[in-house]
Amino acid sequence: MSTLATKSQPIYAELEWDRTGTHHILFVSAEDAALAQRLLSNPPGGTLTLVHLRPADDSRSVWSQNLPDTALYLEAHTLAEALEVLRDAFYVAQMGTRIYLAGSEDAIWQVSQLAETFGVSRDEIRHAQLGTKARPVFCVHCRTITRGVHTNIVSCSGCGRSLFVRDHFSRRLGAYMGFQIDAEVPGEVPAAEVAYP
Amino acid sequence: MSSASLNVEIRRIRDLAPGIREFSLSRTDGDDFPIYSGGSHIVLSLPLSDRPHRNPYSLLGDPTDRKTWRVAVRKQEDSRGGSRWLHEQAREGMRIDISAPVNLFSLNRLGRRHILVAGGIGITPILSQARELARLGADFEVHYAYRAPEYGVFVDELEALAPGRIHHYVQSRREQIEFSSLLAGRPLGTHFYICGPGGMVAASMNAGKALGWPESHLHSEQFLAPTGGEPFDVQLTLSGKAFTVPSDLSLLEAIEQQGVDAPYLCRGGACGQCELEVVDASGELIHHDLYLSAEERASGKKIMPCVSRLKGGCLTLNL
Ligand code: FES
Repeated sequence: MSTLATKSQPIYAELEWDRTGTHHILFVSAEDAALAQRLLSNPPGGTLTLVHLRPADDSRSVWSQNLPDTALYLEAHTLAEALEVLRDAFYVAQMGTRIYLAGSEDAIWQVSQLAETFGVSRDEIRHAQLGTKARPVFCVHCRTITRGVHTNIVSCSGCGRSLFVRDHFSRRLGAYMGFQIDAEVPGEVPAAEVAYP
Repeated sequence: MSSASLNVEIRRIRDLAPGIREFSLSRTDGDDFPIYSGGSHIVLSLPLSDRPHRNPYSLLGDPTDRKTWRVAVRKQEDSRGGSRWLHEQAREGMRIDISAPVNLFSLNRLGRRHILVAGGIGITPILSQARELARLGADFEVHYAYRAPEYGVFVDELEALAPGRIHHYVQSRREQIEFSSLLAGRPLGTHFYICGPGGMVAASMNAGKALGWPESHLHSEQFLAPTGGEPFDVQLTLSGKAFTVPSDLSLLEAIEQQGVDAPYLCRGGACGQCELEVVDASGELIHHDLYLSAEERASGKKIMPCVSRLKGGCLTLNL
């Protein structure tokens, strides 16, 4: 593996409020009590909207419990639903808005791409990886993205090729690169190992 | 020289307003000009007496017009000669050298809406940006402030580009841009561009920051004319030259006059391209640029020779 590829793996800084912003939209898709406590006990000035992707059950969430009274809380049960809610939130959002995305890489980079279609720049958006380390994998051969990949080798959901999952991450695609592993000797595929729990 | 130069003929001179002239330029070799992007400027080399005199001016015509380039020049009363030469000596048919276009004020094409603001002659880069946005079919508006009705140059061209989306603020009628209301409540993905006098640019940036606008969406261009000052001595360590910068030349011009190649782009203290390393300074560095940070200034290790100088003593540069 080249060092260049390794370098493109995103590095997530500790999630903090950007207090130069005047409106804040937080998307979360995983539980993290310490982070919820730290962020919500000291909310930023201006409006706060929380878009929460969570399973449709009655379990209590660290995110809804600690929410300031003034915050707008919007719940979604699937990523598709969350993306719809966020699309509306971005549509009405004003300059001065900061966007915070905390969850699986698959979810946060899909939201990030949506935000970019609204002209959001990198200094207006922050990412944090929470929960599953599963990777979205882009097949460089058929250009299909296979989602929720936990193993270092995966069969492409588009073309069925055995892909080796690289550490090379594309922000534009919101996915890691996957290359056919048995290109030289067809059929010779090593056993897959769980690498991204 | 930093960028390839082109020889052009002054084809047409138009007086647009008191103290504002427009120059139309065509290549003397008959070739087409390259296409430039909205907000670009070129550097004109003006044949003033025996010394090099290079002034930056924004290109204001249609970026896709490959036969004619246009610039507009305001006569600076305290000018050391460049704008005065263009107003008093330049004639149609004269030939001068110009640099290739450089853009330090480019549009963000991912923006969903664009607010363009011009103060006075700052309309020149704004006009070429407006043309580019109109061609792209982008959503934009122009806010144009000037001294008195007769100073509103290019208003017809602007109006034709964006009918109903040009807002005028005439100082003699006590009209003024309120930046906090202009920038408030704008949709996500809006970009703001301003070219105008320093005070106006600063007021708009402060208003934007107070409303939470991130830096990436606040764009400004402000060229400083090099100011003269006391003469001072210079030593260049690499080329071994020693000379005196006279009061009416900038440090950069004096270096060029010695035949030493020094980098530059904007010649107006904005781009950072001309930065030189100060080896020693036995006097006070007078920084006029918009580029160096407070810490960099305090370190005394850097100078932007296009606009900054030394007060008294000798300046040693690693060049
Ligand atoms: S040439 Fe741009 S700062 Fe000096």
